[in-house]
Amino acid sequence: MFDIYKTMWQKRKMINELAKQDIKMEYAGTLLGMMWGLINPLLRIGVYWFVFSVGARAGHPVNGAPYIGWLAIGLVAWFFINDAFKLAKNSFRSKRSIIKNTPFPIAILPAEKVLYAYYIHLILLVAILLVMAVAFKSASIYWLQIFYYDFAACMLLIALGSVTAPLVAVSKDFSHFIDTFLVFLFWMTPILWSVDNVQSRLQYIIKLNPIYYIIQGYRDSFFYGVGFWEHPVYTLYFWGFIFAALVLGNYLFKRMKPVFLDIL
Amino acid sequence: MTSFLRGGFFVETAVRVRNITKKYKLYEDKWGPIKEIFTRKKLHKEFWALKNITLDFPKGESIGILGKNGSGKSTLLKIITGVTEPTSGSVEVNGSLVFLDVSSGIDSELTGYDNIFLKGTLLGYSKEEMMEKVDEIIEFSELGDFIYQPVKMYSSGMRSKLGFAISVNVDPDILIVDEALAVGDAMFRKKCMEKMNQFKREGKTIIFVSHDKNAVESFCSKAAWINEGELIAYGDSKVVASYYNEYMSGRKSIEEIRMEMQYNHSLEELFFGYSDRGLSIKLNGYVYNKEQPDAPLELAIRDTRVNQVLSKELVRIPYEKDPSLPERIKEKAGFLVDISEAEFPRFFKPGKFSFEIRYKQKDKWNYIPIWSGNVKMMDDEDHGGEIQGRYNYRFVVENNRLFLHIDNLDNVQEQVNKIWFEDHFLHIEYVAFVRGYQTTSPEDVRSDFYLINLDTFDEYMIPATVSETEEITENPVFNPQGKIYNYSKFHVSIDLEKIPKGRYECKLSYHMKKPPYHEMLILAWATKTANYPSEPYVIGDKCIEIQIKSKYLQIVVNDATKMGKDSSLQECSN
Repeated sequence: MFDIYKTMWQKRKMINELAKQDIKMEYAGTLLGMMWGLINPLLRIGVYWFVFSVGARAGHPVNGAPYIGWLAIGLVAWFFINDAFKLAKNSFRSKRSIIKNTPFPIAILPAEKVLYAYYIHLILLVAILLVMAVAFKSASIYWLQIFYYDFAACMLLIALGSVTAPLVAVSKDFSHFIDTFLVFLFWMTPILWSVDNVQSRLQYIIKLNPIYYIIQGYRDSFFYGVGFWEHPVYTLYFWGFIFAALVLGNYLFKRMKPVFLDIL
Repeated sequence: MTSFLRGGFFVETAVRVRNITKKYKLYEDKWGPIKEIFTRKKLHKEFWALKNITLDFPKGESIGILGKNGSGKSTLLKIITGVTEPTSGSVEVNGSLVFLDVSSGIDSELTGYDNIFLKGTLLGYSKEEMMEKVDEIIEFSELGDFIYQPVKMYSSGMRSKLGFAISVNVDPDILIVDEALAVGDAMFRKKCMEKMNQFKREGKTIIFVSHDKNAVESFCSKAAWINEGELIAYGDSKVVASYYNEYMSGRKSIEEIRMEMQYNHSLEELFFGYSDRGLSIKLNGYVYNKEQPDAPLELAIRDTRVNQVLSKELVRIPYEKDPSLPERIKEKAGFLVDISEAEFPRFFKPGKFSFEIRYKQKDKWNYIPIWSGNVKMMDDEDHGGEIQGRYNYRFVVENNRLFLHIDNLDNVQEQVNKIWFEDHFLHIEYVAFVRGYQTTSPEDVRSDFYLINLDTFDEYMIPATVSETEEITENPVFNPQGKIYNYSKFHVSIDLEKIPKGRYECKLSYHMKKPPYHEMLILAWATKTANYPSEPYVIGDKCIEIQIKSKYLQIVVNDATKMGKDSSLQECSN
């Protein structure tokens, strides 16, 4: 049921090597190199802050957390999820020439892309944490909980990547569909707005989205000092979702591999 | 298919391919796959890239896979490497495997050095393992300081060198090469071949895919031939390559080759001698067909220039050297043929002759060249395959086939000077002489002229009359030594009434009537076309045309009364 994840575990060194080489490839030939991993998201955070805080005058503190910090933390988590998901779903398609010519455990590719995105994310995360610590003169033990949520996010992304990558490999339509869906998700997930602003029945529906678990987890760790064990049902739901997605991903990979190898 | 793999000894296999079938679905409509799910109608065409292929690749050998483009050989490779999955069947690979592919897995932004590690990772090697190999790879690639430059700066040859260097130096147990040897310059290619030969010596397995039979023949000990997804032959690379060549050159169809492969054959001994009765040849070997052990077979000797064939039934005798053969086959597997020139007068003329076995299939003769790679040649006095009689007879084995070359003992210089018609006679005047053989009287030489029908091989001999000429003796080009060739002019008049319709080639003989008494037979050389009639000549119901086919004289006798498709006939009737 978890064969492809077993492969990922066995080939973890290879995944790590490939992820590092991907970073090299991404920034080879650029002058600023890894700095781009910071510049782009920081600019986006700045733009959202300007639009909501200055433009729409919605920049009030959220449950006591300053809006700019609250926004930045949420976006850092979202950027990781968004980037990793996009890369992971395209992982078979983007490594097409290698897949077609090199005997290679291709099941690891979604995980490799997630790890690659995670390394880029770490740079941004550390940078943001440093700025936060200086700006708000605070740090807490709960910050360590970020690692738990990072792990949870990686598992979620590996699962989502494994489910979608075979589909995208079979048909590009899936890729466009997911890209569109991600835009929808971005606005429907309480990233730029607080979930408290909607009525409680709607909140349940919004919370069904496992991405919210990560976003809120980041904010809980940073601002609210809430442990993940303090909402056990939601945590249980999240891991249940991942379990189901992993099983589905394994099934789809097994089922689709002969098909997409031929038509890729 | 395993007919070439004899003997029951155990061979370790590197790759075991069992009943591999690969089917591709071809849709015309891009919605086809989706529609198919809902409508349960079949909306695709099936394309069988491979049909039930079973093959063993033994360890430590280099095996070629032959086939024309699109025959499925690359699909087979992809299945072996695991890049593609078969529709059914199984593949078992023992050992690490590298698909030598010079272009993929190389990123053009990264430096050559980084690419070594990138490709190494893709091939499944850790960074530490690659650290040990990297120096060797850089040295082999001959890139020098360029190795620290981004690959986008490289020429295509340098890229291939890098790709090749990485693939071969990671030291796999099984190396798969897909037509990739055409990379780099000649020096580098040689180096690659050396590296691959070193691989072979180390007992590693190489699978080499090509549509070039020469490459496979020279490099591989075994070969498999795939045609339209089917395994046609697998065995000794020379044998398979020769079948492949027969097919690719259009000489034989797949069906004929299939039939032919049911026959195992080898010529083992050849005896020959020359006596006053002429040439005698004795052939001894084996030939059998496990499916039809009783099929009648004949030995065929072919004049390869004109394709004249003579045949003689094979005398089947028991063959004891292969104990693995079933008794019912063994008792008739051997053969013996005795050929003497007396039985086939005037067949063994100067030219090149091949030895084949033929069998009848649907009223058509199929010919199999007898495999003669191991033939032992014996003659009465051990002249190493060569004997002199009326002509010089020389047996040679070329490409595992036996040929008999018959050559004149001397060179005859000859030219047709003039051709003209007169009533029902065709007159031909020619000069002929042998350098160094002086003709001072008409008694010194005799020449006969032959017309040979190219379809029936019927022969018409017309004696020539010799007359005196100073044409050769006085010509310093022909006669720098000042010898006497006074009797070198000949004349024949051919009675056209006696020559039936058909196409004839012309030969002439030159008999020395004093020592060394040699007798030569040559094709009539005719290049003075201005002296020959250019218009067809009609006499009675015949229309005669003089033709020169690659400088040799041919005479065509046609029916003058009938209109035909042949252009020469049309000319006659005009």
